[in-house]
Amino acid sequence: MKILSVGFLSGIFLELFSRAGLSHVFAAKSNARPKKNIKGFHDLVVVKGADPALITRKAVEGLGGMEKFVKKGSVVVIKPNIAWDRAPEYAANTNPEVVAALVQMCYEAGAKRVNVFDIPCNSPERCYENSGIKKAALEKGAKVYFCDSWNFVKAAFTYKSPMEGWPIFRDAIECDTFINCPVLKHHGLTELTLSMKNLMGVCGGSRGLIHIDIARKLVDITDFISPDLTVIDAYRILTRHGPSGGDLKDVNLARTIIAGTDPTLADAYAAKFAGKEPMTISYIKEAVQRKFGSADISAADILEVNV
Amino acid sequence: MKKAVIAKRISQFIFLSIFIYILWSTTYPLTGLFPAETFFKLNPLIMIITSISERLILAGIIFSFVMLLLTLIFGRFFCGWVCPLGTMIDIAGYFNRGRRQLTDAQNRKLRSPKFFILSVVFIASLFGLQIAWILDPMVISARLVSLNLIPTMTLLINRSLEGLIKTFGLYGWLYDFYRSLQTSFLGVKIRFFAHSIVIFLFFYAIIVWAVYLKRSWCRGLCPLGALYAFFAKPALLKRKVEKCNRCMKCKTDCRMGAIKDGLDYVRSECVLCMDCVYDCPQKSTSFVFADKKKEDNKGEIEKGPIEKGPASGISRRNFLALAFFSLFPFNSQMPARQKVIRPPAALKEEEFLNRCIRCGNCMKVCITNGLQPALLQAGLSGIWTPHLVPEIGYCEYRCTLCGNVCPTQAIPKLTVEEKVRTRLGLAKIDRKTCIPWKKKKNCIVCEEHCPIPNKAIKLKKFKIGDKIVLRPYINQDLCTGCAICQTKCPVRPDRAIKVYPVKVTHGKNQGPVSIKI
Repeated sequence: MKILSVGFLSGIFLELFSRAGLSHVFAAKSNARPKKNIKGFHDLVVVKGADPALITRKAVEGLGGMEKFVKKGSVVVIKPNIAWDRAPEYAANTNPEVVAALVQMCYEAGAKRVNVFDIPCNSPERCYENSGIKKAALEKGAKVYFCDSWNFVKAAFTYKSPMEGWPIFRDAIECDTFINCPVLKHHGLTELTLSMKNLMGVCGGSRGLIHIDIARKLVDITDFISPDLTVIDAYRILTRHGPSGGDLKDVNLARTIIAGTDPTLADAYAAKFAGKEPMTISYIKEAVQRKFGSADISAADILEVNV
Repeated sequence: MKKAVIAKRISQFIFLSIFIYILWSTTYPLTGLFPAETFFKLNPLIMIITSISERLILAGIIFSFVMLLLTLIFGRFFCGWVCPLGTMIDIAGYFNRGRRQLTDAQNRKLRSPKFFILSVVFIASLFGLQIAWILDPMVISARLVSLNLIPTMTLLINRSLEGLIKTFGLYGWLYDFYRSLQTSFLGVKIRFFAHSIVIFLFFYAIIVWAVYLKRSWCRGLCPLGALYAFFAKPALLKRKVEKCNRCMKCKTDCRMGAIKDGLDYVRSECVLCMDCVYDCPQKSTSFVFADKKKEDNKGEIEKGPIEKGPASGISRRNFLALAFFSLFPFNSQMPARQKVIRPPAALKEEEFLNRCIRCGNCMKVCITNGLQPALLQAGLSGIWTPHLVPEIGYCEYRCTLCGNVCPTQAIPKLTVEEKVRTRLGLAKIDRKTCIPWKKKKNCIVCEEHCPIPNKAIKLKKFKIGDKIVLRPYINQDLCTGCAICQTKCPVRPDRAIKVYPVKVTHGKNQGPVSIKI
């Protein structure tokens, strides 16, 4: 009881402290996740096949295996899309089998701990449960948890950014490897939800405001998190009424996994794959203009495999 | 004979624990050991009065009859051994040290109001008005536990652990422990209930009264106690005194004031607290199943003056007052207009106000915390009824929890297929503040969150200058009024999209309003 009250009081003080804005005094210049710039054997690996887990494995192996990204004893974050209270068939969330396969590969590569989380749009409990991701990831030994509103840090950039000071979930920054695992689907504003859009899921605050001037904000946040590996789940594609969907008629079975280390290139390929011109997607265009990444699919080294 | 008192205390503790446990487990995904309505189904006042006033037979009413049957055998065991409010009152009464002794006449006066209240409740129910909820002890304690106690406890535990983790940087094992607590019993969301201080004060008044006079609420006001008192009158289990030396200790100690000057006792007032058995210096008091025939003239204590039964305690003057007060509530029973957003498929407003017992189950279980107790938003008669406050939370599209925990079916049980076609209200966009309309910037947060597969919020492209702006429209045929758009709308202080309650046109006790999808 005593220790609880100490915690309670110190919690209050900390909150007052941070509200007074004093925490900025001690904040480092930029608290972005350090860039690793790990390159795979190919720029992109695209694998097609019937088994989601198998094609995920083949895709990562095509890049050089999970050992390339996950060192022994490291802490890994896998950030799938668990935004909606929908079953896996509706393709509103990442395929649970893809997530489970990634978790397993991370542990095989010697990861100490694999964290799986997202900040959903619907009730977190229902999203985690009904997307099937909680169960699938827990079975492979991952830590699946909810993002507590008090465990956010304010983003600090070295350049001027509209995302300056935006609350970012701490665990997404403080990890050795970040694997971004979005699902390819339709979105009303950005046409498609891809890997960069998926990183909105580690942002707190009033996320709706990110939609204003979204292209720049998404590229900034991708730069901030700098995911080491991007695995786009295009096993089922939601083609209309995204991002939440809800009608099986809108879902196409594409049975494909796109894996790469450059988020822009992965997004550009995925956009092309979904039948959209990459440069019409605002955040891909922005990323190319800022030379953050390349969307030049014809010049890239892409390995396409059928399983 | 200490055993009996200990047994009673253990029973009280166990039932209070079960009561709190049930309410604690009234949360997603409803995997508690007991159904959320258990204690309400065991409550004859709620079940019978609601059944009479609504002219229907509530599911599970049979359990409350079982309770009445048990009362016919054991007397008011419920009040002394089970009732959660009674237990809390007993705990408060423990701090009452001054033994105030009332005379028989005072005791009689003190115990009559509850019968009066019960009569008012009963007569009102004959006229189709259910007011049992106002003073029902189970409702009072459930509301307190659900909307006050549990949120406060979870908030304190949450904040303490949070402070510990942050201060000492214990992001390792302690954080993992905290997370497992969250998923096991703390809940992911810290809940907040508007005006819950009023609920607390209501309870607090009852408790404070008990400090001045033990069990004062149960003796004087409790309508459920009054109902049980009727059935306890011919109870088979009786108090028996042998070898009495008239030390009067039992009379002084009796928390219900049930023992008369003549040391006879009023059976309908006895809650079997076992104090008199325990305290008796002669060890001569016991409770036995007495044989009816042998009973007469067998007891060693003389009978006191014959007392009038509780029902006849209502004098003519009281009866007139009663008639007056029973008419009074009808003034407020004008055709009620729905001013607030009610839970999915809730009955028509006036029926809903009648059927709802304000137990707080639906608000406790609501996964988004959007269901809040109304204070005066739904009128005076709508106090503590649930209404959706989209600023706090929306109605989760595929969630059917509130209907599953409602003890009186004021919110019907729905299947997910019915639920997704149930309309709560209609959304309306305020173009004066909406970002794409006013500031000509893209937003579409409402469209993105709209859970309807075909999207009740449609986007239209507008070419403004050199850029394209997507502006939202509402398709009123598809909108269910789940209010997620209002919850998520980034415009402050007033949201640019709001859900307004619609006139529901379904008849009495009919199913949900269906909309085409």
